[in-house]
Amino acid sequence: MMSEQHIIDGCIRHNRKAQEMLWKQHSGYLLGVCMRYATDRPEAEDMLQEAFMRIFFNLGEYSGTGSFRGWLRRVTVNTAITWYHKNLRHKHHAGIDDYVSAETGTAGFEEDFYTAEDLYRVLAELSPGYRMVFNLYTIEGYKHQEIAEMLGIDVNTSKSQYSRARAILRKKLEELAHMKGKYT
Amino acid sequence: MRDEERDNGLESLFRNKLEENEMVAGSDLTGRFMERLGRREFFRFNPSRFNIWYITAAAAGLMVAGLLLLSPSRGEAEPVTPLQDTSQVSVPGEEVVTEAPALQAIATDPVTLQEYPAASEAGEAGSVKGQAIVRHDPIATDAKAQGETIALNRGGTAKLAVTPLLFNTSIEPSVTSGCVPLHVRFGCNAGDGYSASWSLGDGGISSEISHDYIYDIPGIYRVTLTLTDERRRVSTATEIIEVWDNPRADFEVRQNDQPGENDKVLFVNLSTGAVNYLWDFGDGTFSTLADPSYRYERMGRYDVSLVAYSVNGCADSVTVNDLFTDKGMYLRFPNAFVPNRGGPTGGYYNQQTDEENQVFHPVASGVDSYNLKIYSKSGLLVFESDEIAMGWDGYNKGRLCSPGVYVWKVRGSYRNGQSIIMAGDVTLINY
Repeated sequence: MMSEQHIIDGCIRHNRKAQEMLWKQHSGYLLGVCMRYATDRPEAEDMLQEAFMRIFFNLGEYSGTGSFRGWLRRVTVNTAITWYHKNLRHKHHAGIDDYVSAETGTAGFEEDFYTAEDLYRVLAELSPGYRMVFNLYTIEGYKHQEIAEMLGIDVNTSKSQYSRARAILRKKLEELAHMKGKYT
Repeated sequence: MRDEERDNGLESLFRNKLEENEMVAGSDLTGRFMERLGRREFFRFNPSRFNIWYITAAAAGLMVAGLLLLSPSRGEAEPVTPLQDTSQVSVPGEEVVTEAPALQAIATDPVTLQEYPAASEAGEAGSVKGQAIVRHDPIATDAKAQGETIALNRGGTAKLAVTPLLFNTSIEPSVTSGCVPLHVRFGCNAGDGYSASWSLGDGGISSEISHDYIYDIPGIYRVTLTLTDERRRVSTATEIIEVWDNPRADFEVRQNDQPGENDKVLFVNLSTGAVNYLWDFGDGTFSTLADPSYRYERMGRYDVSLVAYSVNGCADSVTVNDLFTDKGMYLRFPNAFVPNRGGPTGGYYNQQTDEENQVFHPVASGVDSYNLKIYSKSGLLVFESDEIAMGWDGYNKGRLCSPGVYVWKVRGSYRNGQSIIMAGDVTLINY
């Protein structure tokens, strides 16, 4: 078993063995990241390949400080953002649906009740813009100001899309709970 | 506040479940990726790994070695043909080189002397030495002269007949560089009676004397032509064909929602591989900036196109038809706001007050003229504004209005002339 530093050095030298090791070790985790940003599994896999291309050809930029896993994830998220821009060409970002989003529902969320697949599925049903904002804010932990800059949208758009996304997700999860409750 | 808690619940649900979630990348995906990576690596220079550069170097090495080996052995195999007939005797090109110093000494004809520098120049190129003399000979430059024999009389002492074998193979491509896909017509200076073997650098081969070829992948290709004549003498030539990548033109349009800049359109250039740009805004105006912003005189149908040029002048273009549909023009109002209790703010909102929803104002785009009036329930005019940039801060004559429902009315027009008449109500909230 090669150590992480070994693998990184190997990949910088474009050693095929090391590249394969790196892929084996991290592709599962990064595929999980891509799944959050993609509409379906094939898209996530394409995104993952793109991300790894970037990783292998820009590995020299990894400073060695900070977690390597974190760096991999950042590159992947950036790939997802580029992907989003590429696939959403010429779309207007101006749409602010409402100032006040209608939020319904009463139940909280039992973590054990939902599987990761459930969550991927409800995320995939969001429109790409909502999904980006929700992911970047909730899971990646960026601030609205940063998200606005990354996606090239207005801060308010980011905020409103986030709250809309949240409302939609909550509704979908509640529906799902209903379904599951019915059939189990 | 219950909402807040539930939202946290939703957020932590997603965070806990998905942040570190691992999936299984199937072995077919792994295979697909490694293959793709291998292809990419193949074209990248890397001394520690087998790649295209190795093949190129190996091919070049083999060629040089081959030429070095061939030239002396061929010299032996083809001895000087004895003089038979002044008009028919032929001497292989190589022999001329060995004779060259002697000839130089004998030659008294200034025309002949002039030809020698050319001969020695060509001599450095490898085994194709002798032909250069023939080729640069004004009499023999014409390819049709091949096969005929020309007798040169050197001061009457010896009669040397040189066969212009046209062994100085040269590739004559229609172009040597261009944008992908690049169409090249390859020709060479050989006539009939030669058999040609082309290696086109990207794996393609051909045995036609002249032929057309398309390079569909960017790169630098070494084209090798091997000519063999009837006497199985071989000569090669190489040429470099450079195929440039095309840029990809792409852009995105952003209409700035900031007050006062309602109609300035920001064009965000997402092109890759390009250094120069030409924008056509569709109203007869052009720009060469990378990320221009442009203020249209009026809203309407505009077909915007962008042409992106790479350093090599390769171009790609993209056109968006009817950039601004009617959804570029809108005016929307919130239905509640919370005035700042610290005092009147004047109604000019900024990022911060906007965030806290302290000012009642619309989100607008494409609005030309605008007049907002706000009335209390009793019909008293409490606020009026002629600019979108100024919303209502909840104060009337310096005093905070009482919480409750107020009615607003807007008159104005969009830039395309469509008139706006809107009305609604807004709740002033005061904690």
